[in-house]
Amino acid sequence: MTFFTEYLADPRTRDALFEQTLEHIYLTAVPVGMAVVIGLFLGILAHRSPQLRSPILSVVSTFLTIPSLALFAILIPIVGIGATPAIIALTLYALLPIVRNTVSGLFSVDRAVVESAKGMGMSATMRLWKIELPNAWPVMLAGVRVATLLTIGIAAIAALVGGPGLGQEIFTGIRRIPATGSLESLLGGTLFIVILAVLFDLFYLAIGRLTIPRGIRE
Amino acid sequence: MSDQTNGDPLARLGTDAETGETMIELQELTKRFPGQETPAVDRLSLSIPKGEIVVFVGPSGCGKTTSLKMINRIIEPSSGHIIIDGEDVTDIDPNHLRRRIGYVIQQIGLFPHIRIAENVATVPHLLGWDKDRTRERVDELLDVVGLPPEQYRERFPKELSGGQRQRVGGARALAADPPVLLMDEPFGAIAPITRTRLQNEFLRLQTELQKTICFVTHDIDEAIKMGDRIAILQEGSRVAQFATPEEILTHPANDFVEDFVGTGATLKRLKLTRVKEVEPTEALTGRVDEDRETLRQRFDASDWTAMLLLDRENKPLRWLRGPDLRQQDRPLEKAGVRTRALVEPQATLSDALEEMLLGAAGVAIVVDRRGAYRGLLDIDAIITSIQTMKDAQAEYYRAAKLADPEDEVPA
Repeated sequence: MTFFTEYLADPRTRDALFEQTLEHIYLTAVPVGMAVVIGLFLGILAHRSPQLRSPILSVVSTFLTIPSLALFAILIPIVGIGATPAIIALTLYALLPIVRNTVSGLFSVDRAVVESAKGMGMSATMRLWKIELPNAWPVMLAGVRVATLLTIGIAAIAALVGGPGLGQEIFTGIRRIPATGSLESLLGGTLFIVILAVLFDLFYLAIGRLTIPRGIRE
Repeated sequence: MSDQTNGDPLARLGTDAETGETMIELQELTKRFPGQETPAVDRLSLSIPKGEIVVFVGPSGCGKTTSLKMINRIIEPSSGHIIIDGEDVTDIDPNHLRRRIGYVIQQIGLFPHIRIAENVATVPHLLGWDKDRTRERVDELLDVVGLPPEQYRERFPKELSGGQRQRVGGARALAADPPVLLMDEPFGAIAPITRTRLQNEFLRLQTELQKTICFVTHDIDEAIKMGDRIAILQEGSRVAQFATPEEILTHPANDFVEDFVGTGATLKRLKLTRVKEVEPTEALTGRVDEDRETLRQRFDASDWTAMLLLDRENKPLRWLRGPDLRQQDRPLEKAGVRTRALVEPQATLSDALEEMLLGAAGVAIVVDRRGAYRGLLDIDAIITSIQTMKDAQAEYYRAAKLADPEDEVPA
């Protein structure tokens, strides 16, 4: 196996992998960030309004059933190739776990807690920001974490539509099979994606430690 | 409401707010929930006098909780008016209204993500109090509800027991010193022993605070114990009787009230009398800082079979018998048996009886709020008290010529 001795030993490969890793982080963080903003909004809306709840959840679930390759391809005629179609598609995929966990997080807040907040004279907006969201936060954060891991995985496919990221290294390998070094490329891209996923996971662990109030930590 | 009250002139005595002013006035308050044919609350009219505890009690589904929650408009009334302290609050901003009304619910609903001090400070924050004033008030209230601030201020709700949480719930409701408190089964989810203690503390506090309190319970015993007045509610929150506990027990307005109050009315009457209303007897006492020989002489000179040993602050320590005083091998604090069955003056005779039956000595030791010895209560005192009440009742029935010979209580 020449993976460590030749493939990873080559500074050019390493530089390329690091650069693609940075692109991959970008390709994950931007869609997840957008999905958090949109998902938070949709989640609160779905929690508040029983009429909108099932339409919202159905639509965001439907996104995830569209095969990623198809979705990227559909978006190309509209927004062109490169990162943009990937970012749009990944945002849509990341919505489901975020919206769903926002809704179930808000529902998990003890009704008595919300009622007593109301009884103290807190307005609906204050109750949402000061009581409901902080208590729903652990569940919501778990949703963001799942969305992130999902996005890291699917983002690799973006390379097929000319997108950036570690997917490029993987597809370089796939295209060259059975040429020498093709397996190494495939493995290299995958390994870095796995490492990235682990790092993101640790990142969320730290975020949880920092942001989940001690009173509701397990 | 008068058409629903018993027609008996004697029974109506004392049902009107004869003294003081009205704090909360409910006028024809009605709630119809969508999709329900009959209103949950049907034209409830009630005057709640200032500084009193009025208990709404009734079978489940009678609308008592809905009625309570309309007062701070957690549930918006379909029609009717709520007047608090002379002001019609039916249409004012509900958030401002609620900041003036303390609210305690059975599930307590402390905010789990913030500390106890911040929980208590909720309403002061909403009212824009400054930091120092809020902090001072929080500490004062934690003290009042028996949770030393330096120990509990920084804790989270999950680190407290159920009883402690309800104390915090009470402190939070009192934070901005609202004149009115609404309490929805506040002690309903608390273990029986703790419940009795919280009820007693609450009553003691109320004698100082003089709040106007609406209190919902499904438990007639609790209603009798807590209420200055009781509104017994039937389906649709129709008032079956609105009167003092004494009235309700001795002169139930109708069959519904009689059934609801139920059997064992004599035992329930024990809940009407407080320990402080009964003259305690003196026990043979000795203090721990007295000489053993002095104690022994005092014991031998008396015809008591046991001596109550008090500590330096007069708090009961041990029951000592003759041999305990003669043996020299053990310090007095360790001799004899530990004292149990301590009751506070605020407790009811029913509580005291229960303690007596639990304790081995067959007597209850009356202590003040600091735990210092005040006297003894024995079973004879309770029997005398029951007899007095029965006599009074028999007297009433004789006077009203309602007495059924079978109901005659032998004097």
